[in-house]
Amino acid sequence: MDKWAPMAPTKPGGPSSSHNLSSRFASVLKPSKPSVRGSASSGPLIGRWPEAVILSIIGLLPVSDLPNVARASRAVARLVKDERGWEVRCKWLGLEPDSASPLKEHSRPLQTPKKSSFSIPSKARASISAEDDFGDFSAHGNDVFEDVDFGDFEGARPNADSLGSKKEQNLLDFDDLPLPSRPTGGGGQKTGFFALTPTPTKPKVSSRNNGLYSVYANTQPGPFYKAYKNHHLTMIPYCQHLRSSPSPGSTLSLLFPPSSTTSLPPSLSDQSNLLLSLLLFLSPRLQPLKDWGFLRQALLAAADRFDSTCLVAFEVSDGKKDEMGMRIAAESSWKVWEAGGGSRDQWECGRVWVEKREVFYDTARWDSSENIIKVQSPTGAMTRQLDFTPMDAFVSHVLEAFRIDAEFAKRVFPANARVILSFCDRVASDVIGEYIHPLLSQARAVSQDLFLQATAATFVQAWKLVDLVMEVLGETQKVIPRTSVEDTVFRMFEQHLDEYLDDETERVKLHLEDICKAWEQQLGASDSAKRAQNGGPTFLTSDNPDQIKRNVLAGFRDALLLPVTIVPRTVTFATNAIVTGSTQAVSGLAMLNPQKWTGNNGKIVKKDESNGDIVLEVPDSSEIQEEEKEDEINEKTLDISENPNSKDLKAKSEGDNSFDKLQLLVSLDTALELIQADRDSLKRAETFSRYPGRSGIRVKEAIEEIFILMMKAAGDRHIAPGFRIATNQMSTYKPSDHETTTSVAPLLQFFELVHIGDTIQSMIQVYFDKELSPYVDKTDFLNAVMREKKRFESVLDDAVAAGLNAGIEVLMNQVEHIIVTKTGPREYYPIEGAAMDLGPTKGCQEAIKCLEMHCNLLRGSTSKEVLEVFYQEVGIRLQAILQRHLKRQIISLEGGFQIIADLNTYHSFVASLKQQRITEDFANLKMLGHVYIVSDAKDLAQIVRDVTRYGGTFTPEDIYEFIQRRSDWKKIEKTVDKAMYALSVKEDCVIM
Amino acid sequence: MSDQKKTVILQTSDDEQFTVEKIVAERSAMIKSMMEDLGDQEGMPIPLPNVSSSVLTKILEYCDHHKSEPLPAAESNDADDSRRKTSEIGEWDARWIQVDQEMLFEIILAANYLDIKPLLDVGCKTVANMIKGKTPEEIRKLFNITNDFTPEEEEQIRKENEWAEE
Repeated sequence: MDKWAPMAPTKPGGPSSSHNLSSRFASVLKPSKPSVRGSASSGPLIGRWPEAVILSIIGLLPVSDLPNVARASRAVARLVKDERGWEVRCKWLGLEPDSASPLKEHSRPLQTPKKSSFSIPSKARASISAEDDFGDFSAHGNDVFEDVDFGDFEGARPNADSLGSKKEQNLLDFDDLPLPSRPTGGGGQKTGFFALTPTPTKPKVSSRNNGLYSVYANTQPGPFYKAYKNHHLTMIPYCQHLRSSPSPGSTLSLLFPPSSTTSLPPSLSDQSNLLLSLLLFLSPRLQPLKDWGFLRQALLAAADRFDSTCLVAFEVSDGKKDEMGMRIAAESSWKVWEAGGGSRDQWECGRVWVEKREVFYDTARWDSSENIIKVQSPTGAMTRQLDFTPMDAFVSHVLEAFRIDAEFAKRVFPANARVILSFCDRVASDVIGEYIHPLLSQARAVSQDLFLQATAATFVQAWKLVDLVMEVLGETQKVIPRTSVEDTVFRMFEQHLDEYLDDETERVKLHLEDICKAWEQQLGASDSAKRAQNGGPTFLTSDNPDQIKRNVLAGFRDALLLPVTIVPRTVTFATNAIVTGSTQAVSGLAMLNPQKWTGNNGKIVKKDESNGDIVLEVPDSSEIQEEEKEDEINEKTLDISENPNSKDLKAKSEGDNSFDKLQLLVSLDTALELIQADRDSLKRAETFSRYPGRSGIRVKEAIEEIFILMMKAAGDRHIAPGFRIATNQMSTYKPSDHETTTSVAPLLQFFELVHIGDTIQSMIQVYFDKELSPYVDKTDFLNAVMREKKRFESVLDDAVAAGLNAGIEVLMNQVEHIIVTKTGPREYYPIEGAAMDLGPTKGCQEAIKCLEMHCNLLRGSTSKEVLEVFYQEVGIRLQAILQRHLKRQIISLEGGFQIIADLNTYHSFVASLKQQRITEDFANLKMLGHVYIVSDAKDLAQIVRDVTRYGGTFTPEDIYEFIQRRSDWKKIEKTVDKAMYALSVKEDCVIM
Repeated sequence: MSDQKKTVILQTSDDEQFTVEKIVAERSAMIKSMMEDLGDQEGMPIPLPNVSSSVLTKILEYCDHHKSEPLPAAESNDADDSRRKTSEIGEWDARWIQVDQEMLFEIILAANYLDIKPLLDVGCKTVANMIKGKTPEEIRKLFNITNDFTPEEEEQIRKENEWAEE
């Protein structure tokens, strides 16, 4: 209300400016939409009133008031007679003016086949028209849905048109009215009134536009006026009956007097048509008579009475198995009931029929508790499980009974009555619901697991009803949309849904927690013997860890496609029936773990046997497995022939207990189990994903929650602690405690761990893409799932980064250890005259080998950024180590060449890392080597001072430190000092 | 979002200016098309030479109350029919339209001019209710028109429409 506030009258710019404005507007506006405003504002006036306004007022007036209004003035009288007002009234009644008659034949031929099925004994006076009416009715019913362009007026009242037309015909037959414009009504002409095409209004468009009847006397009444008038006059006698009748029962007999020839009342459909016309006529919209309200009440009472008459006729026909009779009774009853305005809550005829269906009365022989069976578990204890064989039988029985009845209903009842829908609703809630409710409460009493299983399973069973209904409905689906059929099942099931969703999320939480705990226990209890069984690192020993990962993921993807068994059935072998679905997938998934591929082929084969056909469902993964085995063999041979280092490494890691099997801190198996357990829950919850509205949102939330819980379990409970332990263990590694080798065991294990972590992340991504993407908007970064997924990724990244941090420390300590221990005391100060082979020293070689191996291992396991940071860190620390190392040596001129050889080797290693910055640093370090091979002190000083040689990495002071390590330093010190600083203490510092 | 905040200035016949939310002003098909024609010329008052400030105040009250309802289709006489099927006037509308006859007349004229179809409808229905059961003379008075019939003509009209009187 306070949005618009009248501004103080400002009178901007005085009269002249406002004049300018309006003229500007006028010029702007005129060409664009002249018609709208022109017709609205201009136009002739009556008194002060625009004619158009008076016309719409007249259109809204009760018919009985019009005579008085017409007498107000000539202009008003003309407007009262104006066709526009009468056209609206005729449309309401479904009347067409005479002029429409030639068009009617078009619609006729289409209906002829249908007519034959409505052969009503023509005892009544309007029997022919009744047939026509049926034909029109059904044709029209179709049109409404096939022809989108149909005007909404006609669309809304499909049968109104035809019925109205029929009434008019009755009038023409029996009331001898003078109709100047109309030829004498012969049999052929009568049908002309049934034309439904809306086109007849067209001829009048022109007359309407220039339709200002200048002088009232000249105007002839238009076709709509006449049509209405005729109809009105026809209805009056019936209204007389309504007015005078003492009771609804006698109203009917007054309205439908027995035929003079057969002394039978008119047929039900004729009666219904007349009632329908009266209902339309005596409507608040028309208010044709002063006492229309009273008459309408009387009419509705009579319609009620008629309804019960129809019901009796329907029952009688039902008893005689007279489908046609039932159909006529149903249609007649429905038409009148529908036009009555739905004041009564349910259409009696359909309700009574539905109620009498047999399917509601034989529920006693089905016992839903049979679905919970006792099974002897392998340990001998009795456990309760689900076996839905009894429910299968029940559902198929119910559905079959339903199909028969529904197909019958489809034939007998008009589609608009939606009898099938209410039947379906009753079956869903009273039959299937009554079966399911006790089953679920029993299952809940037994165990939560059972309840979850049963909920999803029963829902799937109940859902079959929807499909069946849609199948039965066939092309009439448009009258009863699928959503309303689905609603019946949803409503029936809604009471279990909240409980189910709560239980499901709770259950998955516990389950995931259990898996993590089981893993931790296993980790704690595992003895080295068990560990040793699992062989060496898998990813690292392969040539191409990427390829292995891809294979794992491909297998994983296939495993995700495995169906989850929602409805439990009898299983042939004695293993646990409930978890079949999950075990089979788990066993399929378990084979994906490359750690199991090494060396325990026999084990897998055994598993194949025990599970029989189940494993056969995973052909892809076994293929991969095969493939991988070959790979593995190749690698092994490779290992033996070409890779003594890695063999050495294996031996080393096996012997080294404290750091053994770091990679087993995080397990692909556990991750797979987590995903699998989660997927079971997700699939169950997914059964309900079609739920609309509030429940639908809850289901979606539960699905998201299930996924989030899984990521939390995988990230926080599994990966993060595993990495933390690994990192801690690494930091306790002391290179000096171990025999010198080129490999750092914990680091190696850690890299394997990184690979596993990366694989788990990829698996979760695949899982997300496959199962969750329909429910989550990937672009919505505020979505809880997306946020949690980001968080999971960052947990992993942080874990990797922290581990790498510790790892670098360990690696570089190892490298320094190698360099220190492997460099002989006279490595760079060889005994003069000894033979020199200008290759790198042993320490250098081994250090580089160690570095190279670890750097390569990491490739492809973690993101490029992490890798780059890692490499740079390696470079920077190596630089520092080497500088420290050089400063510990004593270097002769010959040894200088050795230094250069080493530095060159380091440089080429660092260059292979392709890190621009550290490569430059090492190029500069290489230049440093030159200071050891220059014999002349003055030249040396020159080189030391030439800062540009070292690319700015070293200052002359730095270099000066390095040259102090020369074996001849004492001899050349003075010369160098003098050359460098151009001063000598002796000569220049004279005490005056 | 910012669209809802946009306003338009309306200037009445007595040179008063009203700052009105666009969404409210758009109830009038005439103002709506005018704003479309004008484009984004903010601050330019739209002159309504046929509407006085008192009537516009009243009409804006109506428009504000109905601003969140869907606009009727621009030009469709068939839609008119279905809309008018319900002869009832809404509760709020009925209270709102309880004004003196002169105001009612002004409102109807303005609704006609501004092309606010639902409002025009409410007005017409109100007038129709007033006419119910009135004599020809009363009706003339209501519309402020004079009887231009000769007695013969009036008699002829009466006869012609006799059928509708029962």
